[in-house]
Amino acid sequence: MSKLNETDIQGFVLRGYNLPFARYLFLHFEDSARARALVGRLLPVITTGQRWDHGKPQSTANIAFTHRGLAAFDLPEATLLSFPVEFLQGMKDRAAILGDTGINAPEHWDKLWLDNHVHAWLGINGQSPEAVDARCSQIQALMQETGGAMQLAWQDAAAIMDDGKPTSREHFGYTDGFGNPDYLGVERSTQPGQGKLMPDGTWAPLATGELLLGYADEAGELPVAPVPHILACNGTFMVYRKLHQNLATFRAYLEERSAQYGGGMEKLAAKFIGRWRDGTPVELSPDWPDPAIVQDPNRNTNFTYGADPQGTRCPIGAHVRRVHPRDAFGFNGRLIDRRRITRRGLPYGRPVPEGEPASDAEDRGIVFMALNASLSRQFEFVQQQWIEYGNDAHQGNDKDMLIGNHRGHGKFVVQGDLSATNPPFLCTHLPNFVELRGGDYFFLPSITALGMIAMGLVDPR
Amino acid sequence: MSNINGKVYAMNAITPMKPWKTWVVRAIFFTLGHVKSLQQDLINLSFIEFARWVVVPRQRFPYLGNGQVKEDLKYDYLLFFSNFNGTWNQYIDAFSAVLSNGLNLVWRWSEKFPGSVPVTLFKEYIARVQFDTDYYFTAYPHATANDLKSAHIVQASLDSLVQRAPNCTPEEFRSAYLNFVIQVQAHLGDTGEAPVIF
Repeated sequence: MSKLNETDIQGFVLRGYNLPFARYLFLHFEDSARARALVGRLLPVITTGQRWDHGKPQSTANIAFTHRGLAAFDLPEATLLSFPVEFLQGMKDRAAILGDTGINAPEHWDKLWLDNHVHAWLGINGQSPEAVDARCSQIQALMQETGGAMQLAWQDAAAIMDDGKPTSREHFGYTDGFGNPDYLGVERSTQPGQGKLMPDGTWAPLATGELLLGYADEAGELPVAPVPHILACNGTFMVYRKLHQNLATFRAYLEERSAQYGGGMEKLAAKFIGRWRDGTPVELSPDWPDPAIVQDPNRNTNFTYGADPQGTRCPIGAHVRRVHPRDAFGFNGRLIDRRRITRRGLPYGRPVPEGEPASDAEDRGIVFMALNASLSRQFEFVQQQWIEYGNDAHQGNDKDMLIGNHRGHGKFVVQGDLSATNPPFLCTHLPNFVELRGGDYFFLPSITALGMIAMGLVDPR
Repeated sequence: MSNINGKVYAMNAITPMKPWKTWVVRAIFFTLGHVKSLQQDLINLSFIEFARWVVVPRQRFPYLGNGQVKEDLKYDYLLFFSNFNGTWNQYIDAFSAVLSNGLNLVWRWSEKFPGSVPVTLFKEYIARVQFDTDYYFTAYPHATANDLKSAHIVQASLDSLVQRAPNCTPEEFRSAYLNFVIQVQAHLGDTGEAPVIF
């Protein structure tokens, strides 16, 4: 496959910017002509996938729309109706499918999401808070000049810092952000374990169409996409979920349970996720964290579960084993190749160092964003079948330990062996460590598509 | 009156075959039936409870008399019947992804079969030849095949522990109990409601 047309694809799709500060603006369009004018003015501001030959920019900007947002541009009905049904409905209407019920149900979400006014997500990433502010002011000035959009709310997010240096840790203390998939044609420093498993045990990039519309996917077909082709091509769908983290609950649960666990607290924390808190895969190093593995790109995502069917190294229900089962379902991983998602996101809220008092009530969590060509086949499937349910992993109705909607009834089995430091262990009465506070499904168009929208030239044919 | 009963889905698909091709299918079934290794992929798909293909010859359709008009059928029929756990889409996706050669071998003799890859055409074909289930009884609508297999392992392990326990010293029981937990530790998933269909 030849290289992709990187200048036509939004940079946010092709790479994790690895910029430590972010602000996500949520916009509402009031008038289609003015909204189109705004998109036209934003076009030169939007960060594309073009390579950064002169180093990282100070800041980036990207944009995506809900179905209501696209309708606010007065796109032709034939185009609006051609989007996949889950995108037409939006994430709120898919709550029952996604298991977003009880405390995670839409009625408990932030007010922003309740009245269906969110039309656009505008994501700004920056090297410093000042860079984010500057880019934000530039965009807000365009909004004012054109009268194209009303800013409903914003969400700040930032990497957790260690002595002023950004880390990839989240609030529970786990190192995050390993193992986004590789795709054909996407230029990126690849490492084994990030694509699809091949029969000879090597890893190869996934088909481009698992990420981008307009390209062949793993089934050899073009993904389901809206008409016209030129509107869809080089675009993708994005899930935005604001995940609140109950830090006090998590720490108390871990401390209380690990008091009875022969492997100790850090090992139990590692068993929850399948990685030690420094990121070492438990499957590769079941007894202690190993920084040498974490720092080695040839090893830190390069493992399989085939030799650990009983979960005595990495528990069968551990978070990373559930959401990326690799070869755990047999068939050399072929059952999971079409269920992969690309994740973006950053923590939000004040971090609390270990040992200092934390509360659940403080606004703290992670902004989770996922990119995929098919919301229903990829994100929704993973969320429903692998996070909120467990049959594929032979886990019955047990949910994902970390992000499952447990309501106090959850159960997680840590499989073990006869040794005193790796005993079988049962974690019961799992609370919700994570709660959903809102979000939606967005379409992240190509630069060409943004231009067509701006000019009102979308022709469904 | 549904294809779905809790966690279990019943699929019936009936496809016509030109009679001369039926003999080819019979030969293939004979081989598949006698070489167990050829069935392994199908067996390894753990969310399939049951899958079977049967040839229904055109002269063997029920004739009840009583004024039923005799039909002169031009085709033999291939009946596919399967019970599985999970969604229709997941099932066909998995079939297409990992069993495409086997499926093609069995179904290519049926009229208008498009091949099991690409999957969208295959899904359209199955949707067209699928007949909805009129009556469907499931003993354990809240359990999947995996759940049932797990339950058997847990029960057998527990039975053996119970048998040993009365003659154990406390130390022996501690060791027997630990062994029991290790036997069942990968088989303790809850049963319950199926996820919402989508």
